[in-house]
Amino acid sequence: MVSPNEETLIYGTKVSTVFPGTLSGQDINQEPTNMDLAMKLHYLRGIYYFNSQAMRGLTTMDIKEPMFTWFNHFYTTSGRLRLAESGRPYIKCNDCGVRFIEAHCTKTLEEWLEIKDEEALEKLLVPHHVIGPELALSPLCVFAGQTHTENLGLGLLTMFSCGGVSVGLSWAHILGDAFSAADFMKGWGHAMAAQQPAQPFKPAQTNTKPKTSPSPPTPTHDPLSTKQVGQVGDHWVYPNSCKMEAFSFNLTAPQITHLQSKLCGPLGTKQIPVFETICAIIWKLIAQTRNGPEPKVVTICKNDSGPRKNGILGNGQVIKTVEAGFSILEVQPKELVELLINRAVDDRPKIEDAVERDNGLSDLVVYGANLTFVDLEGADLYGLEFNGQKPTYVGYKVDGVGEEGLVLVLPGPKDEGKNGNGRKVVTLIMPENQVAELKSELKREFSIA
Amino acid sequence: MPPPMPKFSNSVKLKYVKLGYQYLVNHFLTLALVPVIITLLIQVIRLGPDEILTLWYSLRFDFLQILGSSFFVILLVTMFFMSRPRPVFLVDYVCYKPPASFRVPFSTFMEHSRIILSHEPKSVDFQMRILERSGLGEETCLPPAIHYIPPTPTMESSRGEAEMVIFSAIELLVNQTGIKPKDIDILIVNCSLFSPTPSLSAMVINKYKMRSNIRSFNLSGMGCSAGVIAIDLARDLLQVHPNSNALVVSTEIITPNNYQGKERSMLLPNCLFRMGAAAILLSNRRSDRCRAKYRLLHVVRTHRGADDKAYRCVYEEEDPEGKVGISLSKDLMAIAGEALKSNITTIGPLVLPASEQVLFLLSLIGRKIFNPKWKPYIPDFKQAFDHFCIHAGGRAVIDELQKSLLLSPEHVEASRMTLHRFGNTSSSSLWYEMSYIEAKGRMRKGDRVWQIAFGSGFKCNSAVWLCNRSVQTPTNGPWVDCIDRYPMHVPEVVKI
Repeated sequence: MVSPNEETLIYGTKVSTVFPGTLSGQDINQEPTNMDLAMKLHYLRGIYYFNSQAMRGLTTMDIKEPMFTWFNHFYTTSGRLRLAESGRPYIKCNDCGVRFIEAHCTKTLEEWLEIKDEEALEKLLVPHHVIGPELALSPLCVFAGQTHTENLGLGLLTMFSCGGVSVGLSWAHILGDAFSAADFMKGWGHAMAAQQPAQPFKPAQTNTKPKTSPSPPTPTHDPLSTKQVGQVGDHWVYPNSCKMEAFSFNLTAPQITHLQSKLCGPLGTKQIPVFETICAIIWKLIAQTRNGPEPKVVTICKNDSGPRKNGILGNGQVIKTVEAGFSILEVQPKELVELLINRAVDDRPKIEDAVERDNGLSDLVVYGANLTFVDLEGADLYGLEFNGQKPTYVGYKVDGVGEEGLVLVLPGPKDEGKNGNGRKVVTLIMPENQVAELKSELKREFSIA
Repeated sequence: MPPPMPKFSNSVKLKYVKLGYQYLVNHFLTLALVPVIITLLIQVIRLGPDEILTLWYSLRFDFLQILGSSFFVILLVTMFFMSRPRPVFLVDYVCYKPPASFRVPFSTFMEHSRIILSHEPKSVDFQMRILERSGLGEETCLPPAIHYIPPTPTMESSRGEAEMVIFSAIELLVNQTGIKPKDIDILIVNCSLFSPTPSLSAMVINKYKMRSNIRSFNLSGMGCSAGVIAIDLARDLLQVHPNSNALVVSTEIITPNNYQGKERSMLLPNCLFRMGAAAILLSNRRSDRCRAKYRLLHVVRTHRGADDKAYRCVYEEEDPEGKVGISLSKDLMAIAGEALKSNITTIGPLVLPASEQVLFLLSLIGRKIFNPKWKPYIPDFKQAFDHFCIHAGGRAVIDELQKSLLLSPEHVEASRMTLHRFGNTSSSSLWYEMSYIEAKGRMRKGDRVWQIAFGSGFKCNSAVWLCNRSVQTPTNGPWVDCIDRYPMHVPEVVKI
């Protein structure tokens, strides 16, 4: 399966484990909330690129050592999943650790970024772990590797020949949403600078019982934004009927302004938000290119506008559904934008209810149950700093996406000294048979290279 | 209820009888001489001063005779003092504390084990059972090379570990004692399983630019009791070289010795051995007498290698798959017991009070002449020593010794807690235990400490130290950040 190219690109792989430096304690368990369990089949794959300047004077040990202090705060990520007697999963915080993989690359960072478009190659830099088949041995987070190592998290550190570095993160969504993951990574930068985290550390609640939905008894309708999946057992992989492929493109600020004005006239730039613009355009495009019924229902995920508590991981993002009562092909994108802004319904209580009914035993898919758009603008993706330098590029993808597809809108690399809307990166994860056509349509629409 | 009362009063009576007997025998000479002196004194007083003067003049001392006799007496006294061994002082010692990033939580160890030995579930289960019952805690440390899956033990990483632990320990010692490396006259490094060329002692000399006429020694292959052997060697050298000091570094380098196979008898060391090192400064200089912490009283070494079973009980060899590991035989505890018996038979007369020795002698004679079935009398070593440092080889070793020597849990607390916090650090474990006792504030001037170590061969070596000055609770040291959590109860079986 490994092409000759891949073998020569990455070498010197070493696998180890990183865990909290201080004993977390005996018998500390973390109960995932209903929302956490609803997201369990999804995995975030993040990649952070740092140039050689950011890595000046830093060795692998300099990067690895502070992780032990960092995990003192986020010890949940070092735990392992267990099943309670009822069958409901919980996290045992036993300091088992996060897998950390170090590797070297024959190319320089610049050379690599030129071939970045090849998704297969990026797979080399980001670990693709899943939970299972042995639940109890699966790490929740991995810092790299295409192995069957099963952690809650995994990380891969790849050293480029020029001195630059890429850090790949594989993150089980049960731990938290992308906003939490971004905060988590930021903590690493703080630990390296030997700073305290921005907020005083609030330990993740120990032995908490899942909160029951506070809303009044809801009708027993399945939430619109999810799809029930057959029992996956201990191997938390979404049994997708088709192979999903991911691709990204960048949008500069002028391009975004151009799009907004195209939609709503010259005054539109002030009126409509960027995210909804992009969503509307892509929604219409997908309706046009798709063979089969057009997507009438979409799911929108955004940051919770309430104050986010740094230091606590969780699935707190807002999940709304939008249902179009008309044909998408026949309306202008502007109307879609209005729909997205005004008619989005918060689906979270229904999701929590659905999970509660089954006591966490149900297997759901949220991303990709409908065409899903995720706004990661509020995520501080560029908050992780090495030597005070921000990454040159950060990308995030999701694995375990349903057939309807997922669109992520991420903040782009920050330009020096520019405020306001910077660049954006749009990542689409679609069934592979739709990708080629979609790419050409998007190229035309967004006038991108 | 009648029965308990008589027992209680009986035991109290027995206690007083025992105390009385001990006082009588231990102070026999005093008790015998005192009446004689008193009688003489009374006689002299009765004689009166004039009579005494008459007696004095009648002796008719010649000046030459007086001079000659005084010279003779002075000569005898000088010869006596010269022939006495030079006292050897332990100026200070330090123990290496590994950083928290090297620690090994149980769950991580077991997960790594499952991944590496994925085809050998029985061996993995065996390791888990060992770990559960080992008495180790979750803060014991392994070197970085062993944290990888699979472990990457290279020569370079072994040297890296050696440099890290040995140099850190020596830096600490230099800071604490103020000694300059150039002033060290004797250097002894002991590390059993890692013996590169040039030796570890050469590595130290190179790093610290020591003198060219330093007397350096490197002891390898001598097992966990090599620490005491090194002390013995240092003592002998300090007898020959006046006005000198000796730096002894005891360590065990774990990196090259991680067993990668599946034989159960060889998996045990993987579960128990952990990183550690100690650096000790000994001296025979008068100037160090006041500031030294301890004085070395005795070193007793017992070697059971002549017995084949003892020789083979800790044996490094290749397993059927060709992987090298140290196999521990099932007779280990029995052999350790024999070695201990040998050792205490030799050390007993040196340290035990007369009362215990008499009892032991009587019991020995009785068993030889009257009835071999009599239970051998086990001398009460608690009367000879205030503190015990039993090599933290494993829970079984400590249990066995506690039983054989009839020690209370407080006596073996230092050993058990060292095993829990640091694991089996081989030859340096005795020093971690000593450090524990100091950290707890229990070391007082005049206290006697007994260090016992077992090692491959099979050897049992012990050293006896006398505390020279009351040791204040140290502000640095390996126990400083965790001493408040100890002593803690270590369950028989820990659930992983």
